Formats: sequence, structure tokens, C-alpha cells
Amino acid sequence: MSAATGERVRERFDGATWLLAACFLPLVAFFAVVWVAPILYALWMSLFRDPVNQPTFVGLGNYVDLLTAPPFWGYLWNSVVYAVSTTVLSLLVGLGLALVVNQRVRGGAALRTMMIFPYLLPTLVVIFMWKFILDPNIGVLNQALVSAGLVEEPIAFFSTLEWAMPAVVVTSVWKFGSFSFFILLARLQAIDSDLYERARVEGATTWQAFRDITLPHLRSAILIILLVRGIWMFNKFDIIFLSTRGGPLQKTTTLPIRIYQLAFNEVNFGLATALAGIMFLLLAAAAAVYFRAFAPEEEVSG
Amino acid sequence: MATAPRRAPRLSYRAQKRLKRAALYLTALVVSVFVTVPVYLMVVIAIQSPAATFSGGRVNLVPAEVTLRNFRVLLETTSTVRYFANSLVVTASSTVLSTAIAVAAGYGLTRFEFRGKRLAARAVLFSYMFSPIVLAIPLYVIFFALGLLNSYFALTLALTAISAPFTIWLMWQYFQTVPIALEESAWVRGAGRWRTLRDVVLPVARPGYISAAIFAFAVAWNDFTMARVVMSRDEMYTITVGASLFLDRVTIGWGETMAVSLLIAVPPFLIALFLQQYLLQGFSVGGLE
Repeated sequence: MSAATGERVRERFDGATWLLAACFLPLVAFFAVVWVAPILYALWMSLFRDPVNQPTFVGLGNYVDLLTAPPFWGYLWNSVVYAVSTTVLSLLVGLGLALVVNQRVRGGAALRTMMIFPYLLPTLVVIFMWKFILDPNIGVLNQALVSAGLVEEPIAFFSTLEWAMPAVVVTSVWKFGSFSFFILLARLQAIDSDLYERARVEGATTWQAFRDITLPHLRSAILIILLVRGIWMFNKFDIIFLSTRGGPLQKTTTLPIRIYQLAFNEVNFGLATALAGIMFLLLAAAAAVYFRAFAPEEEVSG
Repeated sequence: MATAPRRAPRLSYRAQKRLKRAALYLTALVVSVFVTVPVYLMVVIAIQSPAATFSGGRVNLVPAEVTLRNFRVLLETTSTVRYFANSLVVTASSTVLSTAIAVAAGYGLTRFEFRGKRLAARAVLFSYMFSPIVLAIPLYVIFFALGLLNSYFALTLALTAISAPFTIWLMWQYFQTVPIALEESAWVRGAGRWRTLRDVVLPVARPGYISAAIFAFAVAWNDFTMARVVMSRDEMYTITVGASLFLDRVTIGWGETMAVSLLIAVPPFLIALFLQQYLLQGFSVGGLE
């Protein structure tokens, strides 16, 4: 090996080392600063009363306070109701429309473009639209309902006890239905069309073809949507905060809304971080199920 | 088929097909009405004067006029321009930061062998599912202690924190589809690691990082949670936080509210129209929030 080649090899090795550093340093530094440190710090804070100004160590006291107070279970229930209903409904909307667009109906491409809007429109804009539609005084829905004689009095959807949650759910489904639509459409388009042709030749009905070909192909995607979308909806803050602030009478207060209230309205960072700690544990449990059931990490490390 | 059991009389194939078509178009129609009506309302109310919208005691949804009146009121009585400038600064910087970290990480994670890849993948996925508000609380306390509240820097970091897990995941998957043979042949021809990166890898990875950048952009432009927590001074509000307070003001009505909504909706609208294929590519590896 000549000296020049040796030099080149060494140069390349140095280049590789630098490259290795350039690839991973930003990643590691970034994760340490904005993920690991804040999460550990929050868990630490959750062990104190008034951790920001005059910290007093209370151990798991904040957690006990939270879990033994009845409102916690109400907020947890609200979170579950919100997460389950928005996830299931947006899955149904997305599935229905994905099946339609996959059939190559006229205007299918336009429908697909249209479905991108709700997903990309900022939550605030979505809230403005639905606040206008559902407004008791000038809202078009109330106008239509009253003039059709379906209701006597206009309904203040976002601020009555029984309608606030449904109103928030509809608004959320409008925004997030397209998520399952795009994922399911991609799966549908990957199904071999010969399968349907063969089923038709053998005399299967449309329903049978759907049950025996389409559904099995979509099964894993549907489960992932239910799980991941469910987790995200459970974590959702902005759409509920902007529409109802958790009201009326905490009827739409979910755990994320409660964390915000505790931290910024009641300035109780001990309880706020303890509740964040509880959400962290719930999320870790959900993630464990996700990793065990689907092994998603194998897509990159396998 | 020979031993087919007795069953209820079936519709003929053609009748089935016709029924199916009808159901298809009905679904398509219902969904498109559901999706477009709110957007239509926003546009109509934004371009009409409130007097025209609400004349006769009902909401008039067929535009009788086109005026820029609502936009003028926004300019004259609110800090909309300032809010937009703030949004642009933090969105642009967090998009660049998030995409850069993702490209570097995606390349490194696919091109170097190391132990703990599984763990790294799980960490990325876990942060991808994380709740922004749970992260926002400790970030607030930390930024407060460091005197960084109300700074572009802090909000840029916070926004990158929510978009990076997905952009990293996307680039990680994307680089797996880029064959290493391309790079190897460049090395054989004597190109160094860095030159290969610039001249071979980055051009090939372009669709991947455009799609990552779009998602990072959408997250930052959409964001309300982080901006609400990190920015408390009016002149530092992003457009989503600033505009969220409009409805509480007496001087601002639905006309101006919808006008500002229309302005906020312009970038997403352009993305949907012109960069659709990159977005769909992002959905093929999971999509975001």
C-alpha cells in the first residue's frame, strides 16, 4: 500500500468519524435538552409542594392528593369518552371515504385533495368555523334546525351541559377523519385487484368480497389507527381548550386541560406535574402495548 | 360451490353493482358537503362586509358583494401583521432545525452499525406519541428560570420538540430505501464521505426531506399549545394565539375573525394544492397528530 493510499484511507476514516459525530450530536443534544431533561425535571417537581418558589418535599403526596379526589376520575372519564368517540367516529368516516375513493369514482382525486384541508387547517381556524356554525344566535345549524321546526329554541352547543362534549367531538372528527382516510386509502390501493376479480368469478357478493378480502388487509392498519389515534386524542389539548376551555362546569375537562388549569390558572405546579406524571405512566403503558403488539421499531431496525 | 347451501335470493350482479354505485356517490356527496361547507362559510363571511352577511336578521350565505373591508379592519385595529411575522419566524426556524436534525439522524441511523437501534427506534416512537402539554409544563418552568420566555429561541425549540420525532422517523425510513451502493460507488471513485453526502446522498433524499419539512412546517404553523405557554407578551404572540383572543374583543366580529382565518389557511391551502404528493408520502409512514 503506497503512502498516498494510506493517507487517503486515513482521511476517509477521519471523515467518517466526523460524519458520525455530525449525525448523532445534534440528535442526542436535542433529545437531551427538549425531551429527557424536561421530563425528568417534571417528575422531580411532582414530588414537591410549590416546586417553583418554595419547594417542600412531599414524596408521592401530590399523586395521592390527585388520585383520592373524586374530580380526577371525572376528568379521566371525560378523556376516555373524548378519545374513544373521536377515534371510532373518525375511523368510520375515514374508512367509508377511503372505500369510495378507492373505487375510482368520478371526482375521487378532487375528494382526496379536499380531505387534506381539514388535516392541514390550523385547529384555531377549525374552531372558528364550528363556533360560527354552532352559535346559538347566528349559527347556521341553529338557523336551519329552527326553521325546519326540529327545535323550538336555538341550542348553545358549546356551552350546554349535554351538548358541549358532542360538539367538541364533531369538531374533532371533522379535523381528524382525514388521518385514517389517507392511511386506509394507501392500504386499499396496495391490495391486488386480481383477488376481487377471482372472487367475482366464483360468485362472491360485494359484501363477501369486502369481508373476506378487504377487511383482512386493513386489519392491522385499523388496529394501529385505533391505538395511535386514540393516544393522540387522549393527549389532545388545543381543540378542547379553544372550543370550551374545559367547560361548562368541567364537563369537557380532560386530563390535558386539567394540567393546564392546575399550572396556569391555579399556579400549582406540584399537582400539575404530578398529573403530567400520571399521563406519562398511562402513555408508557399504551406504548408498551403498541410495541408488543405491532413491533413498529422493526420497520427501521430489522 | 357445488354444495352451496340454500340462501336468500340474491340480487343480480348488475343490480348489486348499481346499488353499490349509488351508495358510493351518496357517501362521497355527504362527506364532501360535510368537509366543504365550513370552509365555504369561512370564505364567504371573510369577503363580505358584516352588514351584508347579517342583513335581514339571518346569515346570508350567497355572497352579495366582495370587499376587503374585514382585512382592512384587521390591519387597522389589531397587531395581525406582527403576529404573522412572529409565526413566520418561529415556523421557518423550527422547520429548518427539525428537518436538519432529521436528515442527519436518518442518515446516521441507517449508515452506521451500532447497538441499541431498537431502543432508539422505540424512543423516537414514544416521543412521537407524547402529549405536547405534558412537555410544555416543564419547558415553561425551565424557560422561565432561564429568562427565555417570550423569545423566538424558546418557541423554536419547543416547536421542534413536537415535530422532530416524526421527521426523524420519516427520514429514518426514507434513507432505508436509498441503496448504499450509490454511495459506495462514489467512494470507489475517490469521493470523500462529505462530498458523497453533498453530491450523491442529499439529491437522492430530496423527496424525503421535502416531505419532512412540510410536516414540520404544518406542526409549527398549526401550533397553539406551545406558543400559548411560551409567549405571554402581546407583541410576541403567534398568529394562532393572537387571533384566538379576537372573539373576546368587542371591536372584532365574525367578519374579521373569518378574514384572519382565511389568511392563516393560505399556507396549508397552497401545500394541499401543490405539494400533495410529498404529504401523501409522509402518510405512508404514519402521518402526524
